[in-house]
Amino acid sequence: MATRSLVSVVDDDESVRESLPDLLRELGFSAQAFSSAEEFLESDSIARTQCLILDVAMPGMSGPELQRELRQRHHRIPIVFITAHRDDPLRPRLIEQGAVDCLFKPFSETALIEALTVALRLN
Amino acid sequence: MKSARTRVPRRKGSETCAMSSDIEDRTRRDEALRAVRAETALAGEKQLLEMIASGRALPDVLRALCRFFEAAAADCFCGVYPIEWSGPTFQNGVAPSLSPSYLAPVEGLPVRRDSAPCGIAAIEKTQVVVEDIDSDPYWAGSAYRAHVLTHGLRSVWSTPISSLAGHVLGTFCIYQRTPARPSPHQQALIDQITHIASIAIDRARSEAALKRSEAYLAEAQKLSLTGSFGWRVADDRHYWSDQTFRIFEYDVGTPITLRLILQRVHPQDLHLVRQVIAEAADGCAIDCECRLVTPDGSVKHVHIVANATRDRDGHVEYIGAIQDVTAHRLSEAALGKVRSELAHVARVTSLGALTASIAHEVNQPLSGIITNASTCLRMLAAEPPNVEGARETARRTLRDGNRASDVITRLRLLFTRREATTESVDVNEATQEVLALSRMELQQNRVLLRLELDDALPPVTGDRVQLQQVILNLLRNAMDAMVGVDDRPRRLVIRTERDDGRVRLSVQDAGIGLDPHGAEKLFETFFTTKLGGMGIGLSVSRSIIESHRGQLWASPNDGPGATFAFTLPAGRDDEPPARALAAARATHARDATYVGDAR
Repeated sequence: MATRSLVSVVDDDESVRESLPDLLRELGFSAQAFSSAEEFLESDSIARTQCLILDVAMPGMSGPELQRELRQRHHRIPIVFITAHRDDPLRPRLIEQGAVDCLFKPFSETALIEALTVALRLN
Repeated sequence: MKSARTRVPRRKGSETCAMSSDIEDRTRRDEALRAVRAETALAGEKQLLEMIASGRALPDVLRALCRFFEAAAADCFCGVYPIEWSGPTFQNGVAPSLSPSYLAPVEGLPVRRDSAPCGIAAIEKTQVVVEDIDSDPYWAGSAYRAHVLTHGLRSVWSTPISSLAGHVLGTFCIYQRTPARPSPHQQALIDQITHIASIAIDRARSEAALKRSEAYLAEAQKLSLTGSFGWRVADDRHYWSDQTFRIFEYDVGTPITLRLILQRVHPQDLHLVRQVIAEAADGCAIDCECRLVTPDGSVKHVHIVANATRDRDGHVEYIGAIQDVTAHRLSEAALGKVRSELAHVARVTSLGALTASIAHEVNQPLSGIITNASTCLRMLAAEPPNVEGARETARRTLRDGNRASDVITRLRLLFTRREATTESVDVNEATQEVLALSRMELQQNRVLLRLELDDALPPVTGDRVQLQQVILNLLRNAMDAMVGVDDRPRRLVIRTERDDGRVRLSVQDAGIGLDPHGAEKLFETFFTTKLGGMGIGLSVSRSIIESHRGQLWASPNDGPGATFAFTLPAGRDDEPPARALAAARATHARDATYVGDAR
């Protein structure tokens, strides 16, 4: 059995942390959830993570700040941003700075699969 | 009077009467004449006093006085010239037996020593007798002399008419066509006439003053919509001013009874008014407001104030005033409506800025719902189906659905305009609900929020949504004040505490601060320091807090920023909160750091 790709989810919203990893597992991925950017940075999952699903707005370090931090640490993890803010003006800048996509909550399973496919291809 | 004179017996002398008998006859004749004169004077005086008492117009009375004198004293012409001391001038004079051309120049003549003998008499308060104006050196070359002579008159006797208090009210003037001085009989008549004239003028002026005063009072009552009344409780006698009749919409003069009064009282206020009436028997002061229903069905609000006095028999009699305060009450109601509308406008203007928060709050649980539903379908489609996993995801779907529903409920409450309601409000809980809706904005503005909520905060009584509007407004103001702050943490402290029987909520920011002298200006309507601000938020907030019998103020911090705070009277602890929404109560101090991503 081939090793499943690890997708890490970082979101301060508990319902996302509960539901999204379950769906990812159903889609055939391995999944881990973190409640903050800091928690993810302190974990040993960074090196194994093949795709990061990252909330934009969080208490403490925000999603874009984590993106910058990872780049500075030379971690080239493909990032799919998720945000509940429909008119998030950051979206173009996030894509420009290397994000695979930025999905607006609530997003469909299809949109998620498409974004993950692109992300894993980058690996 | 002339007829009276014709009744004077003219006894023919007997051919055989002796000298003594002639003297006796003359004596008897003089006595008879004096008796007739006295009788005539008495009858004339009686007639004149009746004219005065019956309220005849002053010029009529004065003309009658002149004619009375002229009838009693042959060859005399009379004039009465009342004085208006505001001039001073002679005004409304009468001289019924002289031609109008004589009287015309006297009207409005200044009261001066050189104007006429009447002028000297009025100023000196003494009788002036000009026996022959033609030869009197004082009047030589005067216009007055020419005027008198032109009308064929020679002698002029002027006597001041004085009130009991000694004020000169006018002059009484007698003219003759030949040089003459007053005889004792004429002088007695002059004294009699000036006395009656003083009564007539005094009374006419008192009546005019009374009428003027009554007119002022009636006009003042009309303008202020205030009527006056008297009420003798024992026999239910009422004395109403015209305005009181107008307020009750009864015809002026209608005999008033308590039954008639109660007929006009609004059915819901009957109990109150009956109680006031019952207490009135003891002589308690009356101060009450009630509503009247007029015959056309409209409602009037009236304020009644009355004090009791007691007559000699110890009976209670009220003297009071009733004011129609309908316009006042309606404007208060309108003000309340405007306040409510302004609060609504303020909420709606906040709506645009809050849209992001709303979307955020709703999209979060929706995201969970959709993801869980997708997972659930996949779990059920698997071989074998993962029923336990599907059940768990379905349970989460339900939970997130309820969470979305709670968000919508809170929004509906906050943005639906409705009449103010009164309920027991937990200020901590209300604050939490507002914060739940503002989380996104706090994050975006990188605000470091600290909550210091008093666990044992008593509830307050008021309109929950209006109070939340105030808290939201203070929160948004604090965030706006810190927008340009980059050299220090954007720390925001929301604190609730007990304050001597009151509940205090303060919002302390680290923003641009405020000018201590201009702090009060912040609460003026349409005053704003914000670009694009409408300047109604704080004024509406203060209006809301004051309508809850509280106070709202702003003060600069010792360090950077400002603190806005309000206090409200604490309600009773045993009052249960009317509504407990799903928001969790934070009853302990905690830190929540939101670092925004928008910058």
